[in-house]
Amino acid sequence: MDFQVKMFARARDLADADSVTVALSGSCTIADLRRALSEQYPALQPVMTNLLIAVDNQYATDEMPIAPQAEIACFPPVSGG
Amino acid sequence: MNDDLKRYSRQILFAPIGEAGQERLRASRVLLCGCGALGTVIAETLTRAGVGHLRIVDRDFVDLSNLQRQVLFDELDVEERLPKVIAASQKLKAINHQVTLEPIVADIDHTNILEFARGVDLILDGTDNFEIRFLINDASLETGIPWIYAGCLGSHGQFMTIFPNQSACLRCLMDQVPDPGTTQTCDTAGILGPTVSILASFQCVEALKILTGHADEIEPMLTIIDIWQTTFRRMSLADLRDRADCPACQHGERLWLSGRAGSQTTVLCGRNAVQVSPSERKTLDLDQLAERLATAGEIQANPFLLRFRLTNSETELTIFRDGRAIVQGTDDAAVAKGLYARYVGN
Repeated sequence: MDFQVKMFARARDLADADSVTVALSGSCTIADLRRALSEQYPALQPVMTNLLIAVDNQYATDEMPIAPQAEIACFPPVSGG
Repeated sequence: MNDDLKRYSRQILFAPIGEAGQERLRASRVLLCGCGALGTVIAETLTRAGVGHLRIVDRDFVDLSNLQRQVLFDELDVEERLPKVIAASQKLKAINHQVTLEPIVADIDHTNILEFARGVDLILDGTDNFEIRFLINDASLETGIPWIYAGCLGSHGQFMTIFPNQSACLRCLMDQVPDPGTTQTCDTAGILGPTVSILASFQCVEALKILTGHADEIEPMLTIIDIWQTTFRRMSLADLRDRADCPACQHGERLWLSGRAGSQTTVLCGRNAVQVSPSERKTLDLDQLAERLATAGEIQANPFLLRFRLTNSETELTIFRDGRAIVQGTDDAAVAKGLYARYVGN
């Protein structure tokens, strides 16, 4: 199944796109999405470990399943100040 | 209206605050950790708003590159190499003599943070790295004092308010400090002044709500802003604390407050150098780091280490693959830690 994933802040810079399409086969949890993002968009690897992922504007933990029509968004933690 | 309150008349007219809220604000005490970009905006805003007692802690001196966004400093402060908290308090005193200011020049660490937090109602994050934010998070959980996180970089930033043991904490959101070298810093990726002032202003609104008795109006959210793209998003953290099984806020682990996590420094005697080691050994991608640092100075690399000399400076960082760095050109552990956070990351 294909998922649209919206990219924000440094994730957007690294992906060089407002959103990317991720193909998942079999189980569709946030952990699966992370793995697929790393494989299909290696440019995102520097931020992957701590990447915050929201599903329908709710913080999503790794074991959470993703519904087909869900809105997915990614935000890396921001350190400066 | 009481004479002392007249200067706040416009704020008092704002219905949710009123005279009662203003009095509560005057009776409140705040700890501000860090007096740089976020910190100066927070300090000025809360001083003008009439907070009662403002304790500001920072380890750094004013540098020319600060003036673009650190609103309380000027060229004279740079010339005099004044500690940031001292330069800031001079300005703040002239803005509002009613506020009790307590500037402290110090490096916040696990040995002193509880002392700094003693007796305050709220902790504001004006720092620039995750290591210290995890320490603030531990101190907040330990003392029950709420704190307000914000981070900003380039044109984007994020903020959230943490009510310890009630709402999700920083560690519910991130189990670990991002690896050294994987987060960008303002010194490598740049920062716009308005990014800072917008994020710091949001922190101040949250602070005003808490200090005037409206904490219940703060929703458990992480707010993410990009001012160049003009985007504003909120991510709900509503039931995260129940879901996350957080080692810090559910199981009482205090990795940073106990000193078990956090970078360690050793002054290398007679060498005018300090070694900074992350407490857990990590493997750095030196090529990636070299690419990031190329805009900020001169790089020399071999397979084992990377030497980085800052532009127009005698300071040199030798960064090892295991995350250690030797900072040449200082014997001050706090300065070395600052440079490490700034150029290598958290």
